[in-house]
Amino acid sequence: MAQPAVVYEECVTHESSWDADEALTAVYTAHYTSLVRLGSLLLRDTGSAEEIVQDAFVAMHGRWHRLRDPHKALAYLRTAVVNRCRSRQRHLVVVDKHTPKSLPDEPSAEQAVLRTAETDRVIEAMRTLPEKQRTVMVLRYYGDLSEAEIADTMGISRGSVKSHAARATKSLRQLLEQNA
Amino acid sequence: MNDQNPNEQFDELMRRALRDEAHRIEPADALPEIRARAHAQRRPVARRPWLLTAGVAALGTAAAIGAFTVFNGNDNTANDGDAVAGPGTTTSATGVLPSQTPSVVSPTPSPVPTAATQPPATSPSSAVKTAGPTDRGVPEQSVSSAVVPVYWLGQQVGVPKKSAAKLYRTWAKVSGHPAEEAVRIMTTKQPEDPDYYSVWRGAAVNRVTRSDDVVTVDFKQLPKTDLDPDLARVATQQLIYTVQGALQDDTTSIQVTQAGRAVQKLFGQVDTSTPLGRAQAADVQALVWITSPSQGAVTGSKVTVEGTASAFEATVNYQLTNLKTRETKKSFTNTMEGQKFSPFAFSVLLTPGQWQIEAYLISDADGSVTNTDSKTILVK
Repeated sequence: MAQPAVVYEECVTHESSWDADEALTAVYTAHYTSLVRLGSLLLRDTGSAEEIVQDAFVAMHGRWHRLRDPHKALAYLRTAVVNRCRSRQRHLVVVDKHTPKSLPDEPSAEQAVLRTAETDRVIEAMRTLPEKQRTVMVLRYYGDLSEAEIADTMGISRGSVKSHAARATKSLRQLLEQNA
Repeated sequence: MNDQNPNEQFDELMRRALRDEAHRIEPADALPEIRARAHAQRRPVARRPWLLTAGVAALGTAAAIGAFTVFNGNDNTANDGDAVAGPGTTTSATGVLPSQTPSVVSPTPSPVPTAATQPPATSPSSAVKTAGPTDRGVPEQSVSSAVVPVYWLGQQVGVPKKSAAKLYRTWAKVSGHPAEEAVRIMTTKQPEDPDYYSVWRGAAVNRVTRSDDVVTVDFKQLPKTDLDPDLARVATQQLIYTVQGALQDDTTSIQVTQAGRAVQKLFGQVDTSTPLGRAQAADVQALVWITSPSQGAVTGSKVTVEGTASAFEATVNYQLTNLKTRETKKSFTNTMEGQKFSPFAFSVLLTPGQWQIEAYLISDADGSVTNTDSKTILVK
């Protein structure tokens, strides 16, 4: 009798106003799309972004009893998505060196039609940035995150965020002015 | 781009371009897949709040989260309207100064991000084993033997009578369908502990089935008694705790039906037209339980008493009384953590005979006894 009692006790004594499923549904509803979009901007590959974001949600569900707070859950998801995208990207860079033409981000024909020339120029220019600079720019301009939030999410110092942003801005402006 | 505000203009261009690019992406719904994978991975421990049905809870919390979203509000699926504006109107739609509309924008119709442009084939390969929710619930699996919790009501000491019932738990060994059998015990048997009772007497369970997101408990006959709202609420939770305990699933809502149909009011009070969720333990569970030994247990002289309590400053008092000699032992112990349900245990040496074990909490406000649980055992 004691064994199931102990196991069950752990469940009974655990309190939280939202359960993991509720939190999952709520955070998913509010943020799934934007997280996939964030991942797609970082990776330039929607399929992989979806996969990564889904993995992050599964992980969030598993640790909801520790997070317990949607703010924290979102920060956790964002960090997980950014980290996973970054490591995927680093992997892709290695792959790209050997197969330079098979980039996963080549837009399909229909997508290309839908993009405005302006967006096109910015996205093309972003591609030339090193991974860290691009991540900082995406988090800043798409995620609308503060320097401190970007630093936390990427696990780098605020000073690095600043310098990555400055360098990225400089390169992008040069590129965009050339093509304007 | 050689205007007077190059920085702002650059920021704005970046925001607009990234947002436009992002809005071309409309991921397919992946919630069922994520949920299936999450559940395949581990069983969640937290639970849902009192009487919120899954849908209502999701709406409420989503709205709450929307209020502090750190991403651009435009990204919330509910507010994608501005994304379909043509390039000429994009900036004004997002509240940016119209003068900043870049002249280089091509007259291409617009970045129309509709779900249709996203072929469903882009869903990742990792999400394989999601089953669509089954329309019909499946019956419980039959087991040869299982130990299931059965919850009862118990009167509280020192508080106004009717509203004060709380849930107490006993364990029962069953075979067959665990949840169904647990409900059968709850509705037909007299609990061993004389302090416990059930307002479900007279009800007859038919069967328990589960689908993806709801467990249905169908009764041939539901109790006909009308109760006051508080007692009805706790009595409903008695069923939910018992069924969820037997299924080892704290999170799935419970739909109560009679002969396959939803009933209007359970105990004349509780709306059961939609599935019912689990209330927080602190609201319905007695604040102190003795989980071992059980009522009527026969033990040796060394007795270890175990329980769970949610005690102010973690203090649980106890008194042991020899029912024949009136010898008493009185002391206190601590739960592992205060202010929440947490285990406690203490050991005593008892002389042979019948003993009553009482564990109780004392009100911080006035020193009165607020919560008790008691067991009578026979020491050999």
